[in-house]
Amino acid sequence: MTTPLDRRTFLKLAGAAAPAVAAYSCADRDEAARLASANAPVDRASVTWDKAPCRFCGTGCGVMVGVEQGRVVAVRGDEASPVNKGLLCVKGYHLPGLLYGEDRLLYPQKRNADGSFSRISWDEALDLIATKFKETLDQHGPDAVGMYGSGQWTVFDGYAALKWVKGGLKSNNLEPNARLCMASAVSGFITQFQSDEPMGCYQDLDVGDDFVLWGNNMAEMHPVLFSRILETRRVKPGSRIVDIATRRTPTSDYADLFVLFKPGTDLALANGILHLLVAEGRIHTPFIDENVVFRRGIEDVKQIGYGCFGDQAERYTFEDQPRPSSLDELRAFLAHYTPAHVSEVTGVPVEQIRALANIYGDLARGTVSLWCMGVNQHVRGTWMNNLITDLHLITGKICRPGANPLSLTGQPSACGTAREVGTSNNRLPADMVVTNPEHRAEAERIWKLPAGTIPAVPGYHAVDMFRALKRGDLKALWIQTTNPWVTLPNRSRFDRTPNDGRFVVVSDIYPTPTTAIADLILPAAGWVEREGVFGNTERRTQQWNKMVEPPGEAREDAWAIIQVAKRMGMGHLFPWPDDNWHEPMFEEYREFGVGHGKDLASYAQLKQTRGMLWPVVNGKETPYRYTAGYDPYVKKKTGAHFYKAVGYGEKAAFWLRPYHPPAEAPDEAYPYWLTTGRVLEHWHSGSMTRRIKQLHQAVPEAYVEVNRADAETMGIKKGDRVKVVSRRGSVELKVEIDGRGRPPRGSLFVPFFDEAYLINLVTLDAMDNISKQPDYKKCAVRLERV
Amino acid sequence: MALAIAALSLGVGCSESPPAAVARTTGERATTRAYDGAPPPIPHDATLGTCTTCHTDEGAAIAGVGVAPASPHGAAAAAGSMQRCRQCHAPVQTGAVFVASTFTGVAQGPWKGSRATPGAPPTIPHTLQLRENCLACHSGPAARAELRTTHPERVRCRQCHVPE
Repeated sequence: MTTPLDRRTFLKLAGAAAPAVAAYSCADRDEAARLASANAPVDRASVTWDKAPCRFCGTGCGVMVGVEQGRVVAVRGDEASPVNKGLLCVKGYHLPGLLYGEDRLLYPQKRNADGSFSRISWDEALDLIATKFKETLDQHGPDAVGMYGSGQWTVFDGYAALKWVKGGLKSNNLEPNARLCMASAVSGFITQFQSDEPMGCYQDLDVGDDFVLWGNNMAEMHPVLFSRILETRRVKPGSRIVDIATRRTPTSDYADLFVLFKPGTDLALANGILHLLVAEGRIHTPFIDENVVFRRGIEDVKQIGYGCFGDQAERYTFEDQPRPSSLDELRAFLAHYTPAHVSEVTGVPVEQIRALANIYGDLARGTVSLWCMGVNQHVRGTWMNNLITDLHLITGKICRPGANPLSLTGQPSACGTAREVGTSNNRLPADMVVTNPEHRAEAERIWKLPAGTIPAVPGYHAVDMFRALKRGDLKALWIQTTNPWVTLPNRSRFDRTPNDGRFVVVSDIYPTPTTAIADLILPAAGWVEREGVFGNTERRTQQWNKMVEPPGEAREDAWAIIQVAKRMGMGHLFPWPDDNWHEPMFEEYREFGVGHGKDLASYAQLKQTRGMLWPVVNGKETPYRYTAGYDPYVKKKTGAHFYKAVGYGEKAAFWLRPYHPPAEAPDEAYPYWLTTGRVLEHWHSGSMTRRIKQLHQAVPEAYVEVNRADAETMGIKKGDRVKVVSRRGSVELKVEIDGRGRPPRGSLFVPFFDEAYLINLVTLDAMDNISKQPDYKKCAVRLERV
Repeated sequence: MALAIAALSLGVGCSESPPAAVARTTGERATTRAYDGAPPPIPHDATLGTCTTCHTDEGAAIAGVGVAPASPHGAAAAAGSMQRCRQCHAPVQTGAVFVASTFTGVAQGPWKGSRATPGAPPTIPHTLQLRENCLACHSGPAARAELRTTHPERVRCRQCHVPE
């Protein structure tokens, strides 16, 4: 309303006076006055507000946190945050509740011989960890100890863990749960750009023309970013949303084009699009000549396997063997991905394959590809990441505002901690790896450690880590900020009985199925109960202050690691005063990236801003990486420069990647596909969101989505209980038909947030050959009536 | 639980006379929201259809059911970013909790604006974020009695009332 009473407003007001409403809308003045005076006004001056990133997904929405008398009492969407511009999703609006479940873990607890737990002091707990890890190191060496952390770790937690495990324990058995979540995106970026993380940012969502969602229910999983796309579509006529999916979701309801494909055949679909682009010459030859090299690797399905059958069932160590390729070889490689053949493999009509080729092939339009778990939790997830980026490389739709591949992330610091700090079995900060002697030397220099401290052989990847724990090769394991006893695939194979000779420490804020199998439980401080830094999907590093005291004796995870290190004689790793270590630790960590295109903002600058997109050079952030005019490392006047890809002559690699079938497919005995995933209101294993009343009440329990025709054939209806059975396990669930997700015939979907219905007893531990990320999206099951 | 839903669902039992709507109080409102400013849940079957058919800028009377409150998001509701109501508003499937909570949200008010002089228009004591449509809460059948304006016909509220 810009004028006091314009015509539109007048009409609205007149509308309000329409008979049906008018009967109520004449405010009773006396009544209003009486009630207003009867209600004493509440003093809200005592609420203080400070900024923080949201604790849930990788979007990294800014929230203003309201604190009153030492407790978080409210949040608001932070209007100053460029991520969400003031809007949140239902999880974000209910953030405060995550701290206040009645069963918060309040003090350390040690498992007794009879299986019960007893409260112990922090001193006893820290001494116990130090003793157990030291004993294990002495008796069995560094391969027998490990740490399993999280994309929800703050940068401080992750950096402390990295330095302690790799620089103190001299082990590479450090893994984040991001292995289950983002690893295929990492290996996608590394294989193509020799540097992790995207070139684009969320501005792409405001200025793009076409948004192609690959296996991504963005309306539920990244709602705030999806709402940005919806706004773009409203203000930009002709902009489109394409939903490429294996079932209908709330995202499909907003799509201009819905493409249903058979599970796992996205590889064939992408190759089918490439086939048309190349055959019809709809490629950007000058861009390719200037910026792209071609590569291919091992393509024999027998040689690669799936990481879960035969010899690979205990340990999976496939290594790709890259070799140069060419555009001519690509033509031959794509020859058989004709529309007719691809349509047969994928189930996608030929005209839709052509429509997709037209979207990518219209070089004048900005195309943004978006993907998350559908592509990453995939037995060929790295390949699928490669193929999506290939579509952008071959059309030159990359490193341009509104034209980029943008990998979405699921955890608040999957990027900032797991990927940038490098808390995994082969990594060091800032894209460095333990297998490179120069990288190890650089880390040892910054850490002031003797040469040869960091071992050169990668440790266990996540799934192998738990396989090793089961075998007994791994004997001491510290798990922080994650819930693997809900989230590991084929979970029953990792079952453990406490007091089995292993020592498992679990740090969390609530009891979970994982704390239930622990030998020692530590109470953690959560979210704004401690100072922290997260890094989101778009390379934005965000800092927040401690705002409230943690309950009981809960302490932050990084602090616990530092105290154990000190007890093991590794205090030199953390030479900072107990009352001021965050900023000096961050500044040491920052040293890894400065000058290498991974420059983080200074801690002082992070405190002042709503996050900064790295590389941050001379205090200026970089919205578009590798992009002339935006990235200070690019000296060209126009175009792109992939300066991190030294091994490819500073060009990006286009990978030829074929279609391989999934590890397991429906057959007569197990005739249905099973896909697992999330729902909007719950986040991951549900240990936080289920304790928030409004979120639990919205989706109180897991269910199985069944296609209506399949249900009719089986004689089951909505609300019936059925058993979902695979070769590995079973779970009984309530049937949902035509709910928010609608799978096609022959497919089922089950969300994994509910520990009472462990769908991961049913899933398969098949994994990607390169990233070692498990495929939670495809296995074969049958339905039984109960 | 059924009671809570009924209380939420303005319509039930109050289709004929205004008092049921008018009598909605701060206390009742607090039972549905986590804290002042939190999005309320959807108190009815969330699969009824498009939300904005009934929850318009003015609200709507649904024959035989009751009143669908106006959307307080005002002009912002037209923005694409506000198209998906379910992004923030969740259904209620159970009255039970998984684990009880000690969370207490910031009080639901009513807040009182300050006046420069006696008789001067009071300031707006809350943020305008997602509350652009003043009349959604300060007038009409769904408005809490204690928040009702005495002069809804003046339309341009911010001519006289400014945020604190």
